[in-house]
Amino acid sequence: MIRFDNVGLRYGSGPEILRDVTFHVLPGSFHFLTGPSGAGKTSLLRLLFMSLRPSRGLIFVFGENIADLPASGRAALRRRIGIVFQDFRLLDHLTTWENVALPLRVMGKKESDYADDVTDLLHWVGLGSRIHAYPEVLSGGEKQRAAIARAVIGRPELLLADEPTGNVDPAIGNRLLRLFVELNRLGTSVIIATHDYALMEQLEAPRLMLYEGQLQVSGP
Amino acid sequence: MTVLDDIKDYPWTGLIAGVLPPRLAAKLPPKFQAKSSQIVPAASIAGNALTVVIAIMTFLACLTAGGVYMINQSANAWVDDIASEITIELDPLNTADIEKKMTLVALFLAKQSGITRVKPLSADDSAKLLEPWLGSTAALSALPIPRLIAVEIDRSSPPDIDLIKNALNQNFEGVTLDDHRRWQSEIKLITRSTALGGIAVLGLVAAATIAVIVSATRSAMATNRAVIEVLHFVGATERFIASEFERHFLGLGVRAGLAGAFAAAIAFLLLPFLMYLLGGGAVTEAETRRLLGSGELDFGGYILLVGIVVVVAALCMITSRFGVFRVLKNYA
Repeated sequence: MIRFDNVGLRYGSGPEILRDVTFHVLPGSFHFLTGPSGAGKTSLLRLLFMSLRPSRGLIFVFGENIADLPASGRAALRRRIGIVFQDFRLLDHLTTWENVALPLRVMGKKESDYADDVTDLLHWVGLGSRIHAYPEVLSGGEKQRAAIARAVIGRPELLLADEPTGNVDPAIGNRLLRLFVELNRLGTSVIIATHDYALMEQLEAPRLMLYEGQLQVSGP
Repeated sequence: MTVLDDIKDYPWTGLIAGVLPPRLAAKLPPKFQAKSSQIVPAASIAGNALTVVIAIMTFLACLTAGGVYMINQSANAWVDDIASEITIELDPLNTADIEKKMTLVALFLAKQSGITRVKPLSADDSAKLLEPWLGSTAALSALPIPRLIAVEIDRSSPPDIDLIKNALNQNFEGVTLDDHRRWQSEIKLITRSTALGGIAVLGLVAAATIAVIVSATRSAMATNRAVIEVLHFVGATERFIASEFERHFLGLGVRAGLAGAFAAAIAFLLLPFLMYLLGGGAVTEAETRRLLGSGELDFGGYILLVGIVVVVAALCMITSRFGVFRVLKNYA
């Protein structure tokens, strides 16, 4: 599904943030991506999401070498990936419901076809009473859940999450982890970037450990 | 994946809501309302200043196009008029009985095929033609004023002018034929020059409009960078993102274009009155009317103004589309 071969990344003429990163993500797998702050977790996620180009090495996403893909091809692959950002990236002029429905709207689906799905998902993540609220009045945890709902509404084949439980209390954190596990059972590959060891302890999953720009794989 | 696809997919029913002020738009039936909020907020695209600039550009374009159209119509009518007439001029000098000669020439002309009407002008009529320049004076009758015969020709089967000219020269002395060709070519030259000038002005207006829209597109994209990034992350294609921006610019173009064309239509409606006020005397007013016709825009002229609104709106839409693609290329 995802293959990195000797990938290196540097910003401009600065030092390499990631060095010789090589790993495979198989369909239906679950990974934690961890490491100290500044180790390059977010940069690695951005490479996975094709919002950055590697300085060297090859990246294959769903079997496609992203270096050979035109912009329209990358957009088509992104539709198969859901991403949850650390800073949520919700659009302030859209309601919670509209933010969550955005990936489906971008796909060109009819509102009548997905309206119930969006509402049901919002209820499931505990935002049933905040459907018509705008992001600026949501708490950090509510924004986080709205961002997760937006990432999973299109039933992606791969879900990337950057510190998805960083702004929620442990009970909601556990509930979100259950959502990720459930999606994984339905066939979605999941990569969660996190510092939260308590969260990682709850699930036996391979860990991609980044340290000083280099990646090591551990765990089952 | 072309502009035509965008036009086909465009939510035309929502355009009315986009053109009207929000307070009035909210009162429209549900069919004409947008189903979901706009992904790119309208307020972030451009303020009233851009609308005013485009409206002024449209106003200038409409005035130019309408003016050229009126001059063209007037010149065509004039050319048609003089092309269906020839004038015979009789030299009064060295002619013992000019009235007899007038009658003989008129009878000769009436017999020729392709001539529908022969009208000899009296000495007084000929003198009246000189009145605007020489004034009404008794001394005019003492001058050897050439006598004229106005001849109307059948435009469906016109006579052989050269044949008539030769025949007149052979049978009568001091008779010349003027088929107004010199005037026709000069009028056509003036009309062509005016049209070229008008096209040059329209080109400048179009170039200024494009420059303003390109600048506004870049500014709108810079303001909405966060929105564009999120759209990228959720898998939006460049075409989708471009359509979100061009939709706003199309609405803006239609609104501003209608305002500019409406102002120009008012100006054209008031033009006859302005011509009367600014006429500065009967002769000047008559000359202005000769140049611009009645000073009123006909139905075809108003259709031309509507066409300019369509062109301005399309220009706004297409320019913003290419502007978005260009900026998105840099994003990648």
